[in-house]
Amino acid sequence: MLKRRMLALAATAAMVATSVPMVAMADEEVEKPEKITIMVDGTVFTQANGRAEFEARWEELTGIDLEIIQPDHDAYYDVVGQTMAGGDWPDVIILSSTYYAGYAAEGVLWDMSEAYENSSLMERIEDQSVIDGLRMDGALYGISPTRGNGCVTYVKKAWLDNCGLEAPTNYEEYLNMLNAFTTGDPDGNGVDGDTYAVSAAGLIGGEAPYVNYLPEFYQDAYPSFYKNEEGVWVDGFTEDAMKEALQRLQDAYEAGYIDKESLTNGTKDCRNKFYEDKFGVFTYWAGTWATNLKTNLEANEVDSELIALPAIEETGAYFERVAPTWCITEGCENPEGVFKYFIETMLDGGDMQFLWTYGVEGVHWSTAAEEVLGVTYEEGEFHMLENLETEGTLYTKAHIDPMLAVAPLDYDPKADAIPEESRISTEVFNSTKKQAQLVVSTDEMSMLNGDLTTLKNEIVALVVTNGMTVEEAYEKFEADGGAAWSQEIVDSLNAK
Amino acid sequence: MKKKNVNNSVAVRKVPLSARIYKYRWFYLMFLPVLIFGILFYYMPMLGVLLSFTKYNGIKDPTFVGMDNFERMFSMPKFWEAFWNTLELSIIKLLLNTGMAVILSLLLNEIINLKLKKLAQTIIYLPHFMSWVVTASVWGMILSPTSEGLVNTFLISIGVLEKGSEVYFLGSVKWWRFAYYVINIWKDTGWGTIIFMATLSGINPELYEAAAIDGAGRWKKMRYVTFPALLNTIITVLILNLAKVMNLFESVFVLQNDAVVSTAQVLQTYIYAQTFNGSGIPNYGYSTAVGLFRSLVGCALVLVCNYLSKKVREGRGIV
Amino acid sequence: MSKEAKMKDKVHIKPFNIINGILFVIVCLIILVPIWKVLVDSLDLRTAYGMKLIPEKFGFDGYISVFTNKTLYRPLIVSLLTTVAGTFLGLTISTLGAYVLIQWEMPGRNFFANFLLFTMIFSGGMIPTYLVMKSLHLTNSLLGVILLPALSVYNLVLMRNFFEGIPQSLFEAATLDGCTPMATFFRVVLPLSKAALASIGLMFAVSYWNDYTNYKLYITNDQLYNFQMKLRSIVLGSDLPSANGGATENTVRNAAVITAILPFMILYPFLQKYFVKGVNIGAVKE
Repeated sequence: MLKRRMLALAATAAMVATSVPMVAMADEEVEKPEKITIMVDGTVFTQANGRAEFEARWEELTGIDLEIIQPDHDAYYDVVGQTMAGGDWPDVIILSSTYYAGYAAEGVLWDMSEAYENSSLMERIEDQSVIDGLRMDGALYGISPTRGNGCVTYVKKAWLDNCGLEAPTNYEEYLNMLNAFTTGDPDGNGVDGDTYAVSAAGLIGGEAPYVNYLPEFYQDAYPSFYKNEEGVWVDGFTEDAMKEALQRLQDAYEAGYIDKESLTNGTKDCRNKFYEDKFGVFTYWAGTWATNLKTNLEANEVDSELIALPAIEETGAYFERVAPTWCITEGCENPEGVFKYFIETMLDGGDMQFLWTYGVEGVHWSTAAEEVLGVTYEEGEFHMLENLETEGTLYTKAHIDPMLAVAPLDYDPKADAIPEESRISTEVFNSTKKQAQLVVSTDEMSMLNGDLTTLKNEIVALVVTNGMTVEEAYEKFEADGGAAWSQEIVDSLNAK
Repeated sequence: MKKKNVNNSVAVRKVPLSARIYKYRWFYLMFLPVLIFGILFYYMPMLGVLLSFTKYNGIKDPTFVGMDNFERMFSMPKFWEAFWNTLELSIIKLLLNTGMAVILSLLLNEIINLKLKKLAQTIIYLPHFMSWVVTASVWGMILSPTSEGLVNTFLISIGVLEKGSEVYFLGSVKWWRFAYYVINIWKDTGWGTIIFMATLSGINPELYEAAAIDGAGRWKKMRYVTFPALLNTIITVLILNLAKVMNLFESVFVLQNDAVVSTAQVLQTYIYAQTFNGSGIPNYGYSTAVGLFRSLVGCALVLVCNYLSKKVREGRGIV
Repeated sequence: MSKEAKMKDKVHIKPFNIINGILFVIVCLIILVPIWKVLVDSLDLRTAYGMKLIPEKFGFDGYISVFTNKTLYRPLIVSLLTTVAGTFLGLTISTLGAYVLIQWEMPGRNFFANFLLFTMIFSGGMIPTYLVMKSLHLTNSLLGVILLPALSVYNLVLMRNFFEGIPQSLFEAATLDGCTPMATFFRVVLPLSKAALASIGLMFAVSYWNDYTNYKLYITNDQLYNFQMKLRSIVLGSDLPSANGGATENTVRNAAVITAILPFMILYPFLQKYFVKGVNIGAVKE
């Protein structure tokens, strides 16, 4: 393993002098792997959804034997952890941003920056910021075939109309809307004040970017570590912006604008309440979910028109989370080959990317003349097939969401067929978004951040729901050791 | 842990050990499967407690760090908070659940209508089959501080609360534990009666007949026949569960939230939050250290109670 | 309880029985409220958040989509198989162990007792257990999820507790009749412990049926998933940023919860006679 690293280093040094011939040389050197073992979560087709056919098609296109290890989605990281400890590392593994940063720092992952620069992906990926967001000290340990996506704020149009309001563009108008939604009769049932404006699953998110469910209240505050404009790591929780955000949240909660149960809500609770027409402003995933929300509202006979709100003035931009990444482990014997034949092909724009995007013909999609779930298609008309596991619904995609793909398909049959609301919400999101930062892990971080985050979350909850003042909150933060831990972590990040 | 049976033990002691072992040879054979399972699935993994003296994230080989993990653990105020919460929550829960199960079993045993008895038994077992995730979401709705909340609506309708001052049972530091105990009683009491009902069904009816002849009424029979028969099982169940007291996790995990951390955090959820909110990659060394500490506390609890049980029950421990 | 005693009670303490009956009706109603909520939602095609007593838009679609889901058939078979095998194995080990533990004079008996007690208190944790399972080639194998939980010290001790109630004279009589320990076990101990076998067997069966943790950690081949694993994915649904959302996710989810209880509702009446009547030790003695 060390030997290979040395070789890679030497190759990098040579690159500086002559980069063009190297590409050709690298191509010759790369040996085609016979077998690739991958470990994936539930974002790749499961067995019940035609994984065998997917695997067979992949093998047919490449001539390589593919072994897919797919643990239960909920237990994925437990199983990843024990597999790594057990020593039988897969060649390729999907990791979320947190685990990506952690495992990269531990030396589990193969640095693919050189392979990436020599590959066609460099040109094919339109928005390099997605890849750059994955770099750690210049090294690249994984590729995301899709952007991370994020949440936009949806407002029920009928509610706005009933209150005679326009979509808000700044916080003042936003509050005004919340007030009308809470005290007025936005659902038009003749009763004033039996609704509330906003709901969220938790007042603060469990993972980066933390603030994505209530962005209008957090605005420019960020409750965790980030690199500021001067390139210095800071803890946003200790900044004044956070204190102001807490005050805004508290005021809105006390005024009854925010669902009283936001603390205990799951995302499912929120969605159900939204479908039940209990509240009107919901910040949730952009893209496909816009359509899901719409269909569920329709099923509930509630006016389903939603406005995807561009980020209000004070918020400026919605956060895009760091997408899950495909990484090659150091246990892989031929990482260059795996990169070329597995990672690079995933975004080739052709048959392979099509497979990763829409799945297998006859299983997930078809062009035959037939009727699927009450819709008749003509011969040659591309359409998705009925979900094998959840009957009554259609497949929408395979692993890569075409709306989020970082590289385009040469031929995308569904480009025009994307439902309007999905397309609009994606456009609104894309027009105002900023990339969440990858946080590098340090010893201090892994030691202290667990306790620190628990304390931060407790403080936010106490201020918003239990009436603790912001001053008291920060006294508690200091007294319970939070301020000291925070400083220690900041110092360790800046010393790196 | 030995049953004092004076007559037998005097007779047995005269026999040489090898002869006694020979006498019980079939029993050793019968115990063999138990031994094998115990060694494979309990004792072999137990070597893992050595990790508590190391720094280990499952990737690089564990590095020995001595008592570092323990020092760090004991210096964290949040650790102690979680520790005391674990003890309090799970012991009170255990006493409440067992107490309720005993009362319910005794009353169930007195139901004369067989159909009602069967129906009641089936119904009270049902909550055991709902997973904690579902239980939490249904009870969240019942205890909701909005107009959907059954409990709040009821309290308002009988005039205990005023509209607008609904109690957020699961979101307030004051009420959370109460709600937690109620939900636990709902979920586990019925299932808890199984073991007591089985014990009750084994009581020799002659005892009741004899008591009836002596003129004992229902209460006296319950007091002098039924309850003593149950006592052995009650003590066994209590002590066995004490060993598991420190394992409290899922029921708390699904019901807790950020606002009630100070009353609701238990050791297992503390470790979970440490890992999940920290770097994502678990520090198995630290979590094993906490686990070892939990085991030691559980061990102490069991030994103390076993000792008390021996005193109360003339020398019999639970095992 | 014999018939005479029962009749006497009926005459003497009627008010108690009425109060007791009413009490149980109330207890059962309270217990049923949350379950009723799930049942109503499983039959309601509208998504509801609040508490409703009857479905607004009645329909069996939720159940239809659970039962016509072909991907559930295989897991169902896996569940049945492991539950039956596991319960049998669990009961075998528990009864054997318990039988040995009531041999108070057996040399080493206390060592065995402590050997078991110790396992209840100390455990190695997730990673060490996984490594042992892996070295025994029990990962990704149904044998693994059957064997691992088969020794339950908790159940074994409860079983021992029941065995202890068997009159010593019966053992002595069996020995005098020339029964070997094995024969005594089959002819005396087991027939007298039907209530214990039923209750502890039920506890084993339910824990095998509901097993989720062992599957999620030791099984990555979804051909070997059990019913609970599948149900769980239906209940929790997917919370991914872009998911295939069904129109009636809530209905299906609640139907799945009710479905998980069904096997128990079917099985329980067969076992119930052992709980209600129990085993009359006096009668067997004759």
